[in-house]
Amino acid sequence: MTISKLPFLFNRQEKVLIHHPDEHEWQFIVQERGELEAFFLPINQNLKVSVILNGAGAKSDIKCAYLSNENNDLKLDIQVLHKVKNTTSNQQIKGLATGESSVLLTAGIEIPKNTNGCEGYQNHRGILLSDKAKISATPQLEIWSEDVVCSHGSAVGPLPDDELFYLETRGLKKSQAEKLLLSSFFNDIVPGEFRTHIKEWMEQNV
Amino acid sequence: MSAFLEIKDLHAKVGDKEILKGVNLTIESGKVMAIMGPNGCGKSTLSAVITGNPTYQVTGGSILFKGKDLLKMTPDERANAGVFLAFQRPTELPGVSMAQLLKAALNAKRTFLKEKPLDAVQFMKHLKVRATALGITDEMLKRSVNVGFSGGEKKRLETFQMAVLEPDFCILDEMDSGLDVDALKVVGGAISVMREEKRSFMIITHHDDLLRYVAPDKVAIMRDGKILQVGDKELVAKVEEKGYDNF
Ligand SMILES: Nc1ncnc2c1ncn2[C@@H]1O[C@H](COP(=O)(O)OP(=O)(O)OP(=O)(O)O)[C@@H](O)[C@H]1O
Ligand SMILES: [Mg+2]
Repeated sequence: MTISKLPFLFNRQEKVLIHHPDEHEWQFIVQERGELEAFFLPINQNLKVSVILNGAGAKSDIKCAYLSNENNDLKLDIQVLHKVKNTTSNQQIKGLATGESSVLLTAGIEIPKNTNGCEGYQNHRGILLSDKAKISATPQLEIWSEDVVCSHGSAVGPLPDDELFYLETRGLKKSQAEKLLLSSFFNDIVPGEFRTHIKEWMEQNV
Repeated sequence: MSAFLEIKDLHAKVGDKEILKGVNLTIESGKVMAIMGPNGCGKSTLSAVITGNPTYQVTGGSILFKGKDLLKMTPDERANAGVFLAFQRPTELPGVSMAQLLKAALNAKRTFLKEKPLDAVQFMKHLKVRATALGITDEMLKRSVNVGFSGGEKKRLETFQMAVLEPDFCILDEMDSGLDVDALKVVGGAISVMREEKRSFMIITHHDDLLRYVAPDKVAIMRDGKILQVGDKELVAKVEEKGYDNF
């Protein structure tokens, strides 16, 4: 797609893949029956995404993979507003933090009163690769309508010790064990064309 | 010459709880040592300490493996020196396939030995021969390690890893629990094939099931964090018959 002025309007099914070094603010308005599928890859970069589901049947599927290292401070803010009835949203967020970096994630779903028949899902998993890295995730769910289906989950922590140990008993150094465990971590959300960016980052930082 | 494996007065704890309370055990090269003992006496903890599991703190004693001080080595160094553990409860690795794991493990060992990594064809050949012998299918090699496998399949996969990596010292922690008669035969066969002068086994077990296929040279009885007695294979029958109360 060509990038013009914000916000972007969607009234059909469309996929956008975004790894844009200079731009970190994105707004999308999804019209009736429009379907937005977006993928973001902030690497040591802030991100602010706002999605408004503006017409019946509108859907958004937001995937985000973040990477932060050294002493970077990342602010990631992803907000979805279900402005009208019968709209669906999904947010899948995964990331890695190492060094002394910190990540502050706010991910929100808003479904106003009387906006019935909406579905909103959100899931986050963050992995800490050093003792000093931090990830804090605050889900913001503002669900004022009663007839909705919503779920959210967030888990942050280091790679499991027992998994690392198992691999070490097979002769892998700790860093190799970490790499192997992480090699498939993003597979379910990262499109093929972006995997090299992640691979490069891991080569330098894991 | 130093012994193959020599454990002296080994003490280990987790938190404030002492689990190994002065283990003494010597295993000679080319031998099979069976370890028997009641639930909770510290058998798995012993295998964890030998392999360097950081959950357990060693508070005293020593482990020499072919003259090398194992306790000073990291888990991967111990593995590459030839120590292998088939886990009682193998860990699940979601997203990592058995083929991926073994490729990384074999190459780690070859790098350690300053050998060139195997090429794709050599690697597949090395795997296939052993997979066939142990009834491991291609599908099992592609799936995430230990995820969703039955108890018996996990044990066979542990044995398979041992066959592929060809370690010198093989610790098998309750390999026989959860194996059906046929699988027991297959696993027993795989171990027997691997028996040779430079390789020793430590077989932790509660029964004579596996020991019927792999006759032990010695049997050690463990209780309450210590080895109480080491004898020959007649001890197995004694345990089976009378339990551990007489030791
Ligand atoms: N990580 C741990 N935290 C707390 N206690 C532990 C831990 N690991 C082992 N123990 C305790 O240490 C004791 C020995 O455990 P271990 O697993 O070594 O026994 P085992 O001889 O292998 O028993 P089994 O025959 O049931 O496998 C048990 O009482 C167990 O509860
Ligand atoms: Mg045990």
